[in-house]
Amino acid sequence: MGRLQEYQIIGRHLPSEANPTPKLYRMRIFAPNEVVAKSRFWYFLGKLRKIKKANGEIVSVNQIFEKRPQKVKNFGIWIRYDSRSGTHNMYKEYREMSRTDAVDALYQDMAARHRSRFRQIHILKVIEVEKTADIRRPYIKQLLAKNLKFPLPHRINKTVNKGKIFSATRPSTFF
Amino acid sequence: MQRARELVQRLLFPTAHTVEMGDADITTSAWRLVEVGRVVLFQGGEYNGRIATIVEIIDHKRVLVDGPNKDAPVPRQSIPLAKVSLTPIVIPKLPRAAGRGFVAAQWEKNEVDKKWAEGTWSKKREAFQKRKQLNDFERFKVMKLRKQARFEVRKSLAKVRSAA
Amino acid sequence: MADQSSTKKFAKGERTIPHHSQKASKYYPAVDVAAPKKARKSIRPAKVRPSLTPGTVVILLAGRFRGKRVIVLKHLEQGVLLVTGPFKVNGVPLRRVNARYVIATSTKVDIAGVDDSVVKKASEAGYFTKDKASKKTGEDAFFKQGEAPEKKETSKDRVADQKAVDKALLATIKKEAHLVDYLSSTFSLRKSDRPHAMVF
Repeated sequence: MGRLQEYQIIGRHLPSEANPTPKLYRMRIFAPNEVVAKSRFWYFLGKLRKIKKANGEIVSVNQIFEKRPQKVKNFGIWIRYDSRSGTHNMYKEYREMSRTDAVDALYQDMAARHRSRFRQIHILKVIEVEKTADIRRPYIKQLLAKNLKFPLPHRINKTVNKGKIFSATRPSTFF
Repeated sequence: MQRARELVQRLLFPTAHTVEMGDADITTSAWRLVEVGRVVLFQGGEYNGRIATIVEIIDHKRVLVDGPNKDAPVPRQSIPLAKVSLTPIVIPKLPRAAGRGFVAAQWEKNEVDKKWAEGTWSKKREAFQKRKQLNDFERFKVMKLRKQARFEVRKSLAKVRSAA
Repeated sequence: MADQSSTKKFAKGERTIPHHSQKASKYYPAVDVAAPKKARKSIRPAKVRPSLTPGTVVILLAGRFRGKRVIVLKHLEQGVLLVTGPFKVNGVPLRRVNARYVIATSTKVDIAGVDDSVVKKASEAGYFTKDKASKKTGEDAFFKQGEAPEKKETSKDRVADQKAVDKALLATIKKEAHLVDYLSSTFSLRKSDRPHAMVF
């Protein structure tokens, strides 16, 4: 189990005399746990509609599991990202085994490239790119080449010389 | 005239190969490649010492592997390439992301377990593990017997030397 | 009669006066007497490791014979083991050792033929201590320091006991190849030996 899970959350405005059956809103949210997921739901709903936790209710929360967790898939993710100087929309692609893994990789990637935090990123949409022709990014395209093969020309053995500061022999990087 | 033309040619194309320079045999390096069908050995972790085959390449650092060995199976999983070693065994023409049943059939058909067991790598590994599992008395006996063997070798060597 | 209280009459009434022995003492301690703390703990019988069965070859880790490989004969009280070299093999006599300072190996020697009566005698309290000479201190001992100390004579009984115990042991040890050499050799750690990863 990775760091993030995917939740489906359904909520609505509290029923009133004027509107006894308020509209239901559904979101798919990536969060480490249910508590954070619900909190993110209210955060997004407050931005989109005039509903907040005080005048709304959550109807249901359930976790969405990956349908085929042993299949390698290509994911396209659209995000909104608040950088230090402005807000940007982005589209990125990841090659992972599940949607949650792809989103996890996205957060790591964004943190690495842009020093971004969890709170600065809104995930807009996550899709599985099924056709190879629809892959846009070259860094994923290169992995889909026919008869892909490559050597591991310089490997570092982590088990040998572990904890040693000095070594009498140069390490072997070919294994 | 002929000679002058040759010199001009050499000046213009200093790296061009000529017959007189001698042929160098250039062969491609014999790297083992990360490819679908390549059999890998797990180094450390829960499946230490078990073998599996690459079923799909996730990216340049991770692969999806599956090890349908009967006695020491490795369930299908994504694994960083840093945690496995590439063996010389390859299941030829394994399609990408093949199912478990198909991989198991190909594994059986290509006698991967047999090939692995016959190789020096697995034999050395086994011998190393066996030495590691010896108890104190057995270690002592190994030391004794090695001493005896060495003594015999040196004795015969000395004989040959003195005769020569 | 002696400690009866007496009644005295005064002008307006009467009062009983207790006998002087009945009166509270004028003296009382200014500081409370420390009461010794009552120990509620009891000595729990020590439990030796299951690997240390009699007949096990163990490696001694402390004391004069550290590194020697010896044979366990019996468990004594409080985690003490009775061991023997055998003396003829590695010079370790019948001896008590702390079970904590010992590595148990998986090698076992059959001790069925060992004389039980001698082992029993050796495991009694006082067997190892009774003929210990008290250490001399004082002028006499001080002036004797320079001289070569007189050779300690091993008591005849102990020698006989040692022989009786070792006789049967030696016979069984000699049956297995390399076992005599193994027991006479000492254990030590070499470079790249990791005792936590080794099998004993």
